[in-house]
Amino acid sequence: MPQPADLLQGTLDMLILKAVANEPQHGWAIAQRIQQVSDNVLQIGQGSLYPALHRLEYKGWIRAQWGSSENNRKARFYSLTAAGRRQLNAELENWSRLSGAVNLVLQEI
Amino acid sequence: MNLRRFRDRGRKDEDLAEEIASHLAHEEDDNAARGLTPEEARRQARVSFGNPRVVRERVWRYRSLPWIEDAWRDLRFALRGLRKTPGFTIIAILVIAVGIGVNTAVFSVINTVLLKPLTYPDPQALVELRNTSAQGSFPGANIPKFNIWHQQTGIFQQVAAYDSGGAGMNITGGDHPEQVQGMHVSADYFAMFGAPVVTGRTFSAEEDSPHGGRVTVLSYGLWKSRFGANPNVVGSTIQLDGEPYLIVGVIGRNFVTDVPVDLWVPFQFDLNSQDMAHYFTVAARLRPDVTLPQVNAQLRLAADQYRRAYGQNSLPPGGGFGVVSLQESTIGDTRFPLLVLLGAVGFVLLIACANVANLLLARASARKREFATRAALGAGRGQIIRQLLIESLTLSLSGGVLGLIVGFLGVRVLLSVNPGNIPRIGEDGSAVSLDLNVLLFTLGVSILTGILFGLVPAISASRPNLIATLNENGSRAGLGFRSGKFRSALVVGEIGSALVLVIGAALLIRTFMKLQAVDLGFATHNVISMAMSVSGDRFQKTAPVTQVIHDGTERVLAVPGVLGVGVTNCLPMAGGFGMVFDVVGRAKGNSPFTGGAGFYSISWRYFDALKIPLLRGREFTEQDDAAAPEVVIINEAMARRFWPKGDPLKDRIQIGPGAGPAFAEGPRQVMGIVGDTHDGGPNRDPIPIMYIPLPQMPDLETALNSGVAPLWWIVRSQVDPRTLVTPITAALRDASGGLPVAHIRTMDEIEARNTARQRFNMLLLTVFGSAGLLMAAIGIYGVMSYSVQQRTQELGVRMALGAQASNLRNMVIRQGMVFTLIGVGVGVGGAFWLTRFLAGFLFGVKTWDPIAFVATPLLLSVVALCAIWIPAKKATRVDPMAALRLE
Repeated sequence: MPQPADLLQGTLDMLILKAVANEPQHGWAIAQRIQQVSDNVLQIGQGSLYPALHRLEYKGWIRAQWGSSENNRKARFYSLTAAGRRQLNAELENWSRLSGAVNLVLQEI
Repeated sequence: MNLRRFRDRGRKDEDLAEEIASHLAHEEDDNAARGLTPEEARRQARVSFGNPRVVRERVWRYRSLPWIEDAWRDLRFALRGLRKTPGFTIIAILVIAVGIGVNTAVFSVINTVLLKPLTYPDPQALVELRNTSAQGSFPGANIPKFNIWHQQTGIFQQVAAYDSGGAGMNITGGDHPEQVQGMHVSADYFAMFGAPVVTGRTFSAEEDSPHGGRVTVLSYGLWKSRFGANPNVVGSTIQLDGEPYLIVGVIGRNFVTDVPVDLWVPFQFDLNSQDMAHYFTVAARLRPDVTLPQVNAQLRLAADQYRRAYGQNSLPPGGGFGVVSLQESTIGDTRFPLLVLLGAVGFVLLIACANVANLLLARASARKREFATRAALGAGRGQIIRQLLIESLTLSLSGGVLGLIVGFLGVRVLLSVNPGNIPRIGEDGSAVSLDLNVLLFTLGVSILTGILFGLVPAISASRPNLIATLNENGSRAGLGFRSGKFRSALVVGEIGSALVLVIGAALLIRTFMKLQAVDLGFATHNVISMAMSVSGDRFQKTAPVTQVIHDGTERVLAVPGVLGVGVTNCLPMAGGFGMVFDVVGRAKGNSPFTGGAGFYSISWRYFDALKIPLLRGREFTEQDDAAAPEVVIINEAMARRFWPKGDPLKDRIQIGPGAGPAFAEGPRQVMGIVGDTHDGGPNRDPIPIMYIPLPQMPDLETALNSGVAPLWWIVRSQVDPRTLVTPITAALRDASGGLPVAHIRTMDEIEARNTARQRFNMLLLTVFGSAGLLMAAIGIYGVMSYSVQQRTQELGVRMALGAQASNLRNMVIRQGMVFTLIGVGVGVGGAFWLTRFLAGFLFGVKTWDPIAFVATPLLLSVVALCAIWIPAKKATRVDPMAALRLE
């Protein structure tokens, strides 16, 4: 199993926004999803997940609603707001610029 | 700031708890789905999540302002702790209040005198014109100088002349003639100072020219008291010195002058005058765009122009004109004394801080277990330091609030003790007020002191040895070697600082005693003086003045109890005139004149009234009048300086050569030599003085003199002269055709006023020194008591082993006196270096005065010994059994 990588500062927000972009998700599912999709490279510590969710909620990028999960448990579902979608797009664009630039430099050297 | 995230924190936290529970449930389901037992599924879910409380706290903190909330909690905790130890709290707050109070008091004076800008519009542009020379720069101007300065329109917006109003004017025509302060000003005076006009207008240029008519502008005070603030007063007349003056305007209440002024009259200079007498001040408002070098360059040209017009000797060699900011000129030489005072109160504050720091250290050592417990429960060093600093800041800010009150009452008391001519503080210090500057200063000092005395105790408390402390039984254990040493250093510092203050006080007390012991050279006891203004048209010639003096002298002498009566145009110790002179027939060498001396015009009984002894020759008689040969009497200092070998009685002197037409007169025969008088006050050496008979003054000089100085009547009596004021003033009014007198003061009062500054400084430093001494005594008492308490067990053991009570007592005393003597050594060294700043305050006492430097350390040692005695005595009462059982 590959070693979990440290999350780059600020990327957690982007990952969360991306994770809830298509459909509302609850906290556990967000963590699971990021972990699975990244092939267990990215592991979200619960110590940072919930503070991040609440911070994003306060910023108005996501909104939360109590609902029931697939296995019929009560859960707090997060969904993207319009402002959140704009933020996600901005961050994605930023990220692709940055990673593209980093890749260029790495190929060059 | 958006407060949304602070709302509903409790409900949101419950939400989060539920959310976490949901998370765990999902994780558990997932684990169970992978085939774990329910118990294992639950356990692993919890392990992988970690402590939910940490997450909740993180979110909670995000929803709060931790810094403020922690501080608020610490503050509540501090208040609770301080309430529980009222004795400590009250003493600490009082000590801080005294320290901050004296600083607030002195700063509020400094703020008023030095820092606040002058109350005129755009005060930075106001300058005083000065005469510069190698010796420095001096104010004062004559008409030709004013005329030349007035023409420098390239650098000055306005140039205005004004005098001190010292000659006084008489409001006549009513039932009660009244002497008022009438200031002479040139037309631009009001515009230059931006004086607010309540009604009417100020003087026009025409009214300020010769024959411009009799006009006056009233002050707000006089308008109110004399005219009931009647707005129709403009256009009416007021009788001044028996002549009607047209009132053209009234100036607003807020217009501040250096000396109180009741009304203004125009100078009406003849700008073509060749009169060389300096009797007024000139100030100017600079043009907004000029620089100081431009001003100086222009004034150099003006000085050259002046020399060309009035002769090479009209200015001293290398002399010229200059400017100094009006604020600087007003402040004068008070800046340095006030800063020295601030230094002294700084010492008081330092001692107070050391004292409170000591108390806090003792308190911290008693609370050692508390800190260790907190540390064991997870409090970081920073948190403990923050909590203790908040405690000390609570103390210092409470002390600061109390100090503000202490300081504000203190400054009133202080300034009511006649501080001796501090400029700008108004009547009895009424201008000294509580403004933002003072509040900020006190706040700043409070915070600084809180940190200063709180930091070291806090840091030393935050370094607990957990295991050792928690295992100790009780709070007996000290804070350890380091803080013990630090407390001793604090006490040594306190004693040293207190000694510096007390030595300073001793020097000033000795100075004051020396001043009191000076023989002024004239009688001050049972002598009273009063001013009669002779400013009107009636006294433009000498003869009517002579007549008033003659009649007045006769009538006052007839008052029962009166022993002597004299008249002069300069009151001793109240400032006087000076004049150059030549000795007839003597070669002058390089300088234009033989010299300069004080210049008094007196009545023939003046020396008798003040009991100034005649040393050689004869006194004036009533026969030395205008018709008699011109004579002069000089004092011993003048004889000594200008006739070191020869005999002055054989010479004639020419007074005021080249001083202009007003002083044109023939040479005077020196008729006598009288004893010296300390005219500049007891701390100044007697200056050379020449006296001429008032009846022999040239008419033009009398006219000039009447405009700038009153006649001072000096009456010596058998009884307290204040009981004779009514008959004397009545006699003078009868003799002068109704002239009132003012400024009635005994010579004792004038002398006291002359030494008021010294008395003020002495009182202040004595108060500060005593406060410092008391705090130092409390400090050493505290440290020694604490030390005895700490060593109870040791003392008990010693006693059990056979030590005598006296041995133990001496041991404690020895230890205390070692601190004291080190402190005394530090203090003497510090004082030796610091008293140089007092040099300007001292008279007849060296800055290293052996008496002050021996007596005060002794005094301090005795006080310290008394303070140590109490804990030393306690050491002897230790019960060995009880002490050992403490173990």
